[in-house]
Amino acid sequence: MAVLTFLYLLGPLFVIVAASFSDTGYLTFPPQGLSLRWYRAALADARYLNGFFVSLKLGGTVAALSLLIGTAAAVALTRFSFPGRAFIEALFLSPLVLPGLVLAVALTLFFAANPVVPPGMPRLIVSHLLVGVPLVLRVMLPVLRRVDRSIEEAAQNLGASPFLAFILVTLPFLRPGLFAALALAFIFSFDEVEMALFLGSARDAPLTVVLYGAAQMQMDPTVAAVSSLLILLALLMMVAQQLYAQR
Amino acid sequence: MSTSGRAGIPGGLVAAGLLAPAALLFAVLFVWPQLGLFLQSVSQPAPFGVAQYQRFLGDSYYMGVLVNSLALGVCVTLVTLILGFPMAFLLARMESRWAGLLLLLTTFPLWVSAVVRSFAWMVLFFRSGVASRMLQGTGLVPHDFQLIGTFTGVVIALAQVLLPIMILTLYAVIRGIDRDLEHAAMNLGASPAVAMWLVTLRLARGGVLAGSLLVFSLSVSAFATPSLVGGARAHFMAVTIYEQTLELLDWPFAAAIAAILLAISLVVAFSYGKLLGDARSEVR
Repeated sequence: MAVLTFLYLLGPLFVIVAASFSDTGYLTFPPQGLSLRWYRAALADARYLNGFFVSLKLGGTVAALSLLIGTAAAVALTRFSFPGRAFIEALFLSPLVLPGLVLAVALTLFFAANPVVPPGMPRLIVSHLLVGVPLVLRVMLPVLRRVDRSIEEAAQNLGASPFLAFILVTLPFLRPGLFAALALAFIFSFDEVEMALFLGSARDAPLTVVLYGAAQMQMDPTVAAVSSLLILLALLMMVAQQLYAQR
Repeated sequence: MSTSGRAGIPGGLVAAGLLAPAALLFAVLFVWPQLGLFLQSVSQPAPFGVAQYQRFLGDSYYMGVLVNSLALGVCVTLVTLILGFPMAFLLARMESRWAGLLLLLTTFPLWVSAVVRSFAWMVLFFRSGVASRMLQGTGLVPHDFQLIGTFTGVVIALAQVLLPIMILTLYAVIRGIDRDLEHAAMNLGASPAVAMWLVTLRLARGGVLAGSLLVFSLSVSAFATPSLVGGARAHFMAVTIYEQTLELLDWPFAAAIAAILLAISLVVAFSYGKLLGDARSEVR
């Protein structure tokens, strides 16, 4: 039973990687022949390459900004008490339980009436922040609540300002949490398709949007090659994350 | 708290400064657009009316879309639960050093975009794909049959996409169950199966409900998998909203359908929060 479940979970990913090496003009599994021609085709296609760099830039920007905004908010929510704190925390976390598509539609209608953010990349970035910030909060709130405050207070008693004590004493403890939050926000933004489809411009189409369009058109082996490269990238990221966590 | 003081800046101001970027982001790009979506959905007939909702609820085609999405949610939840529970149980109770690696492999698909994972199913499901050919081989379906564009195909693909989430939810709950309770039941004469039924499943009940609600909510509102595997004739809520917004440009109607989807998600989210609270107090 467990073996079959594993096969069901991972089999399709294996199939797509295997099919991408097929030396046929159409997608087939098991693959026939062995060739890298679809990888050459994928790398020669400007749409995929451009999409990859757009996604990288988008994911990187969203991850960095989410980490800054989210961690600052998490510190405020865990270190200070003020009226409405529980409500603000619930509000900031709520995009995680709402369908991405509803966020995308609401933002599309909103930007059409109020173009407060320039179209293209800036719109993609701010809309991804709506999920990136809650992801960072979900990681950082429990981490910050677990931190032992007594060491920080000791540093303050020895003359450090509250800010310096936080930077010197608490921040090193937060590093694994910060790394996890950064990775989570990056992967979300890099893999997200709904908001990207609604809010991106044709010129700034992230890789997921290019793939979505290509997958709808036809069973193109180039899509399988790009998908396989993305699976490889995900594998590398997972291994890197594990190595970091076990250090 | 130890916030004001030596630097001379009042704590309230520091807190406000730290919260300001997130507060601005959420006020302008979350609260305002969600409110706008709702207002747009009740804008006809002007100035306030529910014509768009009547149009949705009164049209058998759109009601069919709603029923289809809810049915998808139920089917995907059942499949992920049936496959996910034994898997989560195994992973939670394994004492081998491979357990960590197996858990990692289980969650690996979550690192890959849903577009890629859905495309993998398209490869298997199209007319000469392996899965479709196997079905054709049984003779139960016509020889040009393909799973793309079928409800069954979407259930199979979406359940695979969401299975890691179900397993992770159940895993966390099963890990939290005290094994001594099972042993105690067996010491009192229960067979392992009865102990499992009386103790483990009962204690995991909160987790099962929480995981089911989460997967149900994600299935009902899923977009990429239903639209790719479901093909051009995919009658699901998210796909319909997409068509109304970007293709037919009927925004008040799109807003109304989105609001209905939002309402479903909120009901599920509130029950989820309540159940999780109950489950926690039960374990304590």
